[in-house]
Amino acid sequence: MSATTGSDAQVRHEVEQFLYREARLLDEENYGGWLELLTDDFHYWVPGVENRGRKDPLGSYPVGHMAYFDDSKSDLERRVKRFTSDTAWSENPPTKQFHSITNIELMPAEGEDDLTVHSLTTVYRGRYEGTGDILYGRREDRLRRVESELRLARRMVVISHNILQSKNLNTFL
Amino acid sequence: MTETITDVVDDAARGVIDRKIFWDRSIYELELERVFARSWVFLAHESQLPQSGSFLTTQIGSDNVIVVRGRDKVIRAFLNTCPHRGNRICHAEAGRTRGGFVCNYHGWSFGLDGKLKGMHETDAYRAEPDFDFADHGLVPVAQVDAYKGLVFGCLDPDAPTLDDYLGDFRWYLDILLDNQDGGTEFVGGCIRSIIDCNWKIPAENFAGDALHAGWTHDSGAQAMLNTSVPEWWGNESYHVNVNGHGWEFNLDLVGNASTFGDKRLNRWIRSREAEVTERLGETRSRMLGAFSSVTLFPNMSFLPGQQSFRVWQPLSPTKTELKTWVLVNKALPDELKEVYRKGAMMTFSPSGVFEMDDGENWEYSTRANEGVVSRRQKLHYGLGAGSRIDHPILPGNVYRNQLNDANQRAYYKRWADLMAAETWAEVPES
Repeated sequence: MSATTGSDAQVRHEVEQFLYREARLLDEENYGGWLELLTDDFHYWVPGVENRGRKDPLGSYPVGHMAYFDDSKSDLERRVKRFTSDTAWSENPPTKQFHSITNIELMPAEGEDDLTVHSLTTVYRGRYEGTGDILYGRREDRLRRVESELRLARRMVVISHNILQSKNLNTFL
Repeated sequence: MTETITDVVDDAARGVIDRKIFWDRSIYELELERVFARSWVFLAHESQLPQSGSFLTTQIGSDNVIVVRGRDKVIRAFLNTCPHRGNRICHAEAGRTRGGFVCNYHGWSFGLDGKLKGMHETDAYRAEPDFDFADHGLVPVAQVDAYKGLVFGCLDPDAPTLDDYLGDFRWYLDILLDNQDGGTEFVGGCIRSIIDCNWKIPAENFAGDALHAGWTHDSGAQAMLNTSVPEWWGNESYHVNVNGHGWEFNLDLVGNASTFGDKRLNRWIRSREAEVTERLGETRSRMLGAFSSVTLFPNMSFLPGQQSFRVWQPLSPTKTELKTWVLVNKALPDELKEVYRKGAMMTFSPSGVFEMDDGENWEYSTRANEGVVSRRQKLHYGLGAGSRIDHPILPGNVYRNQLNDANQRAYYKRWADLMAAETWAEVPES
């Protein structure tokens, strides 16, 4: 397995701790800290899911079609700028959010310093009174060791519905 | 009910809106009959159905619809329900079929022309003396027509033609649909989301609500432009409406387009100004990417400049599905098509820096109207009461200053006229 500086068990532990820390930063709306976990060439893709037949050559999330996110790091910095603005009305009072990361699987990646990590993310969001929702996504991450620290270099998240069952995605999956 | 609706008609013209139209179940049921089953509703862009057998599924009000291009290349639309037991026929949202559609339940199968071709154990029906296959095809949508790439369907055979329904609004639609040879297309895919709001609230917002932009969307403007939404154009900005369709705009050319924060786009729009002026005249050339928003009655909206096209699909009095697409000129370089695709996601989609604050407002505008005492107070739509003008160039009903409720009043007037009318013949000119 690449990106390893120790045994598989040690790397696995390190990856899990990385994903949990990342989840906590998002829960705490510490977007500055979250951005620091991303490599400069990070790409974030949450494609629109389409209900197409099994034999349809386009598949369920064609590349180049509409997406929720198809972002570089600088795109994400713009989104964060809105989150942290005083006039982001739908963030005030803040949404309570919890990212739960499960089904973590490590796989080798092409680059010597890279790892492919699959996982599931479940995001609970609470808004006012009884309102809120649960978002489900399957992640495929590319983690990279940069100067001995793990960084996130790429993330794809496929959500569970062809219709987002919510009015917005005011978080990252 | 009709008596109540008549009150609402009078009130709408005066800019007074009864809050119950946003949550009342009986009003919603009447809307499905009198607005959605009688209006021309957006079905597809022709580019989504490129080949014979290309299909997509959608809705007109509460009815599920299949839209499909036939072997003769003609686009048709049918109710997506089997004449046998009523099951939904097509479950995919888009794709291509060679032969047609087959119901999962008993294998009733239909051609691209909607005709019944056969079923599981066809011989049993062939032996029935009174069963005529020609009587049991898919129900066609009564009228299907297109305007420059946009395909609409109408379930009422007695409704006006699409050309009459759009009327002089076609002059404005050409700004987006006919500013360059080759026509337009949708970028692939559609982003769909659910907003717990009444469907009319976003529709009226896009018809005329320039007022909210500078306030609701301040955080989005800060993120994309490093500044607030730019100053108003006052008397050089307008509300125009025709048959309940509304377009609010100024003439700043790139006000909306600038929100992507990508200078390539502004340069491209500016580079085409002379060409578009020659094609559409100076006024319309200045509207190409201008600060503006549009609603086609009843439930399609779009944003020139950002090129976000959307439908507000009612699911219940207080639940709406939003479908969004991106419209581009076919002749646009691929690099710029990509700018539009990504820009629309960044600004006006469920994850967009502008749209996120809209959904929040619309949900709580719907919910707060329900309170048994809250509902007694009527809502104020009176801005710009004396702003109507005659304009030498702009067709339709024209109002000076885009900070105005004129288009919202016209939208609800049209809505109320349809709600009160037993037939299309009773619907007054607007």
